[in-house]
Amino acid sequence: MVEIKLIMTNKLGLHARPAAEFTKLAARFKSKITLEGNGKTADAKSLLMILTMGIRQGGELTVKADGPDEIESIEALKNLVEGWLKEG
Amino acid sequence: MVGIVIVSHSMKLAEGVKDLAEQMADQQLKIIAAGGMEDGGIGTDAMKICRALQAANSADGVVVLADLGSAILSAQTAMELLDEEYGSLISIADAPIVEGAISAAIQASIGGTLTEVIHAAEEARGLLKL
Repeated sequence: MVEIKLIMTNKLGLHARPAAEFTKLAARFKSKITLEGNGKTADAKSLLMILTMGIRQGGELTVKADGPDEIESIEALKNLVEGWLKEG
Repeated sequence: MVGIVIVSHSMKLAEGVKDLAEQMADQQLKIIAAGGMEDGGIGTDAMKICRALQAANSADGVVVLADLGSAILSAQTAMELLDEEYGSLISIADAPIVEGAISAAIQASIGGTLTEVIHAAEEARGLLKL
Protein backbone atom coordinates (compact mmCIF):
# COMPACT_ATOMS: atom_id res chain seq x y z
CA MET A 1 0.00 0.00 0.00
CA VAL A 2 1.14 3.54 -0.81
CA GLU A 3 -0.12 6.71 0.80
CA ILE A 4 0.43 10.45 0.57
CA LYS A 5 -0.79 13.40 2.56
CA LEU A 6 -1.82 16.62 0.90
CA ILE A 7 -2.96 19.92 2.34
CA MET A 8 -5.72 21.51 0.32
CA THR A 9 -4.40 25.05 0.26
CA ASN A 10 -6.58 26.09 -2.65
CA LYS A 11 -9.52 28.38 -2.04
CA LEU A 12 -12.37 25.94 -2.35
CA GLY A 13 -10.95 22.71 -0.94
CA LEU A 14 -12.23 19.57 -2.63
CA HIS A 15 -15.45 20.92 -4.13
CA ALA A 16 -17.68 19.39 -6.78
CA ARG A 17 -15.78 19.87 -10.03
CA PRO A 18 -12.37 18.88 -8.69
CA ALA A 19 -13.98 15.93 -6.91
CA ALA A 20 -15.42 14.80 -10.25
CA GLU A 21 -11.95 15.05 -11.87
CA PHE A 22 -10.46 13.11 -8.98
CA THR A 23 -13.08 10.34 -9.26
CA LYS A 24 -12.63 10.02 -13.00
CA LEU A 25 -8.86 9.76 -12.68
CA ALA A 26 -9.03 7.30 -9.75
CA ALA A 27 -11.39 5.08 -11.72
CA ARG A 28 -8.73 4.51 -14.39
CA PHE A 29 -6.68 2.46 -11.94
CA LYS A 30 -7.26 -1.08 -10.72
CA SER A 31 -6.03 -0.40 -7.19
CA LYS A 32 -8.42 0.27 -4.35
CA ILE A 33 -8.06 4.00 -3.65
CA THR A 34 -9.39 5.64 -0.51
CA LEU A 35 -9.37 9.18 0.81
CA GLU A 36 -9.24 10.19 4.43
CA GLY A 37 -9.84 13.65 5.77
CA ASN A 38 -12.09 15.67 8.07
CA GLY A 39 -12.55 12.50 10.16
CA LYS A 40 -14.12 10.65 7.24
CA THR A 41 -13.08 7.99 4.76
CA ALA A 42 -14.28 7.76 1.17
CA ASP A 43 -13.86 5.48 -1.79
CA ALA A 44 -12.04 7.70 -4.28
CA LYS A 45 -14.06 6.18 -7.12
CA SER A 46 -17.33 7.50 -5.68
CA LEU A 47 -18.02 11.18 -6.34
CA LEU A 48 -20.72 11.45 -3.69
CA MET A 49 -18.57 9.90 -1.01
CA ILE A 50 -15.84 12.44 -1.75
CA LEU A 51 -18.32 15.31 -1.65
CA THR A 52 -19.69 14.22 1.72
CA MET A 53 -16.20 14.47 3.21
CA GLY A 54 -16.41 18.25 3.06
CA ILE A 55 -12.69 18.96 2.63
CA ARG A 56 -12.29 22.73 2.86
CA GLN A 57 -9.41 25.11 2.41
CA GLY A 58 -6.51 24.08 4.64
CA GLY A 59 -7.93 20.60 5.16
CA GLU A 60 -5.59 17.61 5.15
CA LEU A 61 -6.27 14.83 2.71
CA THR A 62 -4.67 11.39 2.85
CA VAL A 63 -4.79 9.34 -0.32
CA LYS A 64 -4.18 5.59 -0.02
CA ALA A 65 -3.84 3.15 -2.86
CA ASP A 66 -3.60 -0.59 -2.62
CA GLY A 67 -3.26 -2.83 -5.66
CA PRO A 68 -1.26 -3.63 -8.78
CA ASP A 69 -0.94 -0.01 -9.99
CA GLU A 70 -0.80 1.71 -6.60
CA ILE A 71 2.38 3.67 -7.34
CA GLU A 72 1.18 4.99 -10.69
CA SER A 73 -2.22 5.87 -9.27
CA ILE A 74 -0.80 7.84 -6.36
CA GLU A 75 1.59 9.64 -8.70
CA ALA A 76 -1.24 10.61 -11.07
CA LEU A 77 -3.58 11.76 -8.29
CA LYS A 78 -0.80 13.74 -6.62
CA ASN A 79 -0.09 15.55 -9.91
CA LEU A 80 -3.77 16.35 -10.31
CA VAL A 81 -4.08 17.80 -6.81
CA GLU A 82 -0.81 19.74 -7.08
CA GLY A 83 -2.12 21.26 -10.30
CA TRP A 84 -5.10 22.69 -8.39
CA LEU A 85 -2.91 23.93 -5.56
CA LYS A 86 -0.82 25.88 -8.04
CA GLU A 87 -3.98 27.50 -9.37
CA GLY A 88 -4.78 28.59 -5.82
CA MET B 1 -21.54 4.45 -22.44
CA VAL B 2 -24.80 4.53 -20.46
CA GLY B 3 -26.98 7.51 -21.45
CA ILE B 4 -28.91 9.76 -19.08
CA VAL B 5 -32.34 11.38 -19.46
CA ILE B 6 -33.48 14.17 -17.15
CA VAL B 7 -37.25 14.35 -16.74
CA SER B 8 -38.69 17.40 -15.03
CA HIS B 9 -41.96 19.33 -15.03
CA SER B 10 -39.92 22.37 -15.93
CA MET B 11 -37.98 22.67 -19.18
CA LYS B 12 -35.55 25.07 -17.52
CA LEU B 13 -34.93 22.75 -14.60
CA ALA B 14 -34.24 19.77 -16.87
CA GLU B 15 -31.87 21.88 -19.02
CA GLY B 16 -30.16 23.26 -15.92
CA VAL B 17 -29.56 19.83 -14.41
CA LYS B 18 -28.21 18.67 -17.77
CA ASP B 19 -25.82 21.66 -17.96
CA LEU B 20 -24.59 21.06 -14.44
CA ALA B 21 -23.99 17.34 -14.95
CA GLU B 22 -22.29 17.97 -18.30
CA GLN B 23 -19.77 20.27 -16.59
CA MET B 24 -18.37 17.25 -14.80
CA ALA B 25 -19.01 14.47 -17.27
CA ASP B 26 -17.09 13.02 -20.17
CA GLN B 27 -17.83 14.83 -23.44
CA GLN B 28 -18.95 11.56 -25.00
CA LEU B 29 -21.71 11.14 -22.45
CA LYS B 30 -25.22 11.69 -23.76
CA ILE B 31 -27.40 13.60 -21.32
CA ILE B 32 -30.77 14.54 -22.75
CA ALA B 33 -33.20 16.92 -21.07
CA ALA B 34 -36.91 16.12 -21.34
CA GLY B 35 -38.57 18.88 -19.35
CA GLY B 36 -41.94 20.57 -19.64
CA MET B 37 -44.70 20.22 -22.18
CA GLU B 38 -44.46 20.49 -25.95
CA ASP B 39 -45.44 24.21 -25.74
CA GLY B 40 -42.84 24.90 -23.04
CA GLY B 41 -45.40 24.94 -20.20
CA ILE B 42 -45.03 23.14 -16.89
CA GLY B 43 -45.76 19.44 -17.02
CA THR B 44 -44.33 16.20 -18.31
CA ASP B 45 -44.85 14.73 -21.73
CA ALA B 46 -44.44 11.01 -22.37
CA MET B 47 -43.77 11.53 -26.10
CA LYS B 48 -41.03 14.06 -25.40
CA ILE B 49 -39.50 11.61 -22.91
CA CYS B 50 -39.74 8.85 -25.51
CA ARG B 51 -37.70 10.89 -27.98
CA ALA B 52 -35.16 11.72 -25.27
CA LEU B 53 -34.78 8.04 -24.38
CA GLN B 54 -34.19 7.17 -28.01
CA ALA B 55 -31.64 9.96 -28.36
CA ALA B 56 -29.77 8.93 -25.20
CA ASN B 57 -29.71 5.25 -25.94
CA SER B 58 -26.66 3.29 -26.89
CA ALA B 59 -26.13 -0.42 -26.49
CA ASP B 60 -25.30 0.16 -22.81
CA GLY B 61 -28.71 1.48 -21.73
CA VAL B 62 -30.27 4.63 -20.32
CA VAL B 63 -30.84 5.84 -16.77
CA VAL B 64 -33.73 8.22 -16.10
CA LEU B 65 -33.62 10.86 -13.35
CA ALA B 66 -37.01 12.41 -12.67
CA ASP B 67 -38.39 15.09 -10.36
CA LEU B 68 -41.74 14.38 -8.71
CA GLY B 69 -45.08 12.64 -9.09
CA SER B 70 -46.25 12.49 -12.67
CA ALA B 71 -42.69 12.84 -13.95
CA ILE B 72 -42.27 9.24 -12.85
CA LEU B 73 -45.60 8.20 -14.38
CA SER B 74 -44.79 9.87 -17.70
CA ALA B 75 -41.34 8.28 -17.72
CA GLN B 76 -42.92 4.89 -17.09
CA THR B 77 -45.40 5.47 -19.90
CA ALA B 78 -42.53 6.36 -22.24
CA MET B 79 -40.67 3.22 -21.17
CA GLU B 80 -43.75 1.09 -21.89
CA LEU B 81 -44.01 2.60 -25.36
CA LEU B 82 -40.41 1.63 -26.03
CA ASP B 83 -40.54 -1.68 -24.19
CA GLU B 84 -40.40 -3.87 -27.28
CA GLU B 85 -37.40 -2.04 -28.62
CA TYR B 86 -35.40 -1.46 -25.42
CA GLY B 87 -36.92 -3.59 -22.63
CA SER B 88 -34.67 -3.65 -19.58
CA LEU B 89 -32.13 -1.30 -21.19
CA ILE B 90 -33.98 1.67 -19.65
CA SER B 91 -34.29 2.12 -15.93
CA ILE B 92 -35.48 4.87 -13.55
CA ALA B 93 -33.15 5.76 -10.67
CA ASP B 94 -34.95 6.35 -7.38
CA ALA B 95 -32.84 9.36 -6.54
CA PRO B 96 -32.91 13.15 -6.07
CA ILE B 97 -32.67 14.74 -9.50
CA VAL B 98 -29.67 17.08 -9.11
CA GLU B 99 -27.33 15.03 -6.96
CA GLY B 100 -28.47 11.81 -8.64
CA ALA B 101 -27.82 13.17 -12.14
CA ILE B 102 -24.33 14.38 -11.28
CA SER B 103 -23.39 11.13 -9.58
CA ALA B 104 -24.85 9.09 -12.45
CA ALA B 105 -23.05 11.24 -15.03
CA ILE B 106 -19.67 10.62 -13.40
CA GLN B 107 -20.29 6.90 -13.04
CA ALA B 108 -21.39 6.67 -16.69
CA SER B 109 -18.35 8.74 -17.75
CA ILE B 110 -15.97 6.28 -16.14
CA GLY B 111 -17.58 3.42 -18.01
CA GLY B 112 -20.02 2.18 -15.37
CA THR B 113 -22.64 -0.41 -16.33
CA LEU B 114 -26.36 0.35 -16.19
CA THR B 115 -26.56 -1.22 -12.71
CA GLU B 116 -23.53 0.73 -11.49
CA VAL B 117 -24.89 4.03 -12.81
CA ILE B 118 -28.25 3.45 -11.11
CA HIS B 119 -26.48 2.56 -7.90
CA ALA B 120 -24.35 5.73 -8.09
CA ALA B 121 -27.49 7.85 -8.59
CA GLU B 122 -29.31 6.18 -5.72
CA GLU B 123 -26.35 6.70 -3.40
CA ALA B 124 -27.37 10.36 -3.52
CA ARG B 125 -30.36 9.58 -1.29
CA GLY B 126 -28.00 9.30 1.67
CA LEU B 127 -26.00 12.43 0.89
CA LEU B 128 -25.77 14.75 3.86
CA LYS B 129 -24.98 18.35 3.01
CA LEU B 130 -23.90 19.62 6.40
